[in-house]
Amino acid sequence: MQLSGYLIVSALLFTIGAVGVLVRRNPLVMFMSIELMLNAVNLSFMAFARFLNSVDGWMFVFLVLTVAASEVVVGLAIIVAIFRSRQRINVDDLNALKG
Amino acid sequence: MTVGNPIAFYVLAVTAVAAALGVVLFRNAVYCMLSLIVNLLMLAFFFLMLNAIFVATIQVLIYAGAVMVLFLFVVTMLAPGSAESERDRLRWQWGPAAGLAVILAGGLIVASVNGALAGDAHAAGVDRLATEITSAGGNTQAFGEALFHGYSFPFELTSALLVIAVLGAVVLGRRISGRE
Repeated sequence: MQLSGYLIVSALLFTIGAVGVLVRRNPLVMFMSIELMLNAVNLSFMAFARFLNSVDGWMFVFLVLTVAASEVVVGLAIIVAIFRSRQRINVDDLNALKG
Repeated sequence: MTVGNPIAFYVLAVTAVAAALGVVLFRNAVYCMLSLIVNLLMLAFFFLMLNAIFVATIQVLIYAGAVMVLFLFVVTMLAPGSAESERDRLRWQWGPAAGLAVILAGGLIVASVNGALAGDAHAAGVDRLATEITSAGGNTQAFGEALFHGYSFPFELTSALLVIAVLGAVVLGRRISGRE
C-alpha cells in the first residue's frame, strides 16, 4: 500500500474524532474521541517513519502514548470529581468554574 | 514503494473507520468504549504492517490494555445514569459538524498527501528501514537505541510527567474531609 493510503485512513480517523468532540455531550465519549484523534496522529507518524526509513517516528508515538495515558488519568479523575459533586455528567451543565 | 498486503490494508482500514464511527454514534458509553478498543487493536495491526513490532506490542499492552481498563472502570461506574441523560439539547450541531468534518477531512487529505514530507517519502524510494532494524539487532533494540541516544531527555521528562499525573489524580480523587 502506498503512503497516501495510510495518510487518508489517518485523516479520516482524526476527522471522526473531531466530530465526536463536537457533537457528543457525554464527557467520557468526548474523551474517547480525543483518544481517537491521538491515535490517528500516531498512525501517520508510524507511516512516515516507515516510508522515510527512520525510527524517529516511533519515538514520537511512544511520547504521545505516555501523554495520552497521563491525560486519561487526570481527565478521568476530574470527571469522577464532577460526578461526585453533581451526580450527573453532561458538559452542557458545566458552565461555571466554581463548583 | 508499497508496504503491506493491499487486501489486509483495506480490511484493517474499513474496520478501523467503522469502529471509529461506532465511538461517535453509539448511544451507550460502554459500546463506545468497546468499539474504541477495536479501533486501537486495528491500529496495532497497522503498526505491525509497518514493521514496528515493539510499538504494536506496547499499543496493545498499554493502550488497548491498561488505559482502556481504566476507562472501562470509570464508564461502568458512571455510565448507567449518564447513558439516558444525554438529551440532545443542541441537535442542530450535527449539521454544521458534518460540514466542518468534510472540510477538515478534505484539507487534511490534500495537505498530507501533497505535503513536503510525503514528497520526501516518495523520493526516499528504497526500503532501508528493515536492514537498519536488522543491523541494530532487532526491533526492540532499534527502538531502545533510538530512545536512549537521540531522545533521552524527552524520555526523562516523561517520567516527571507521569509522576505529576499520578499526584494530580490522587489530589483530585481525595475526599475533602472537612466538607462532607
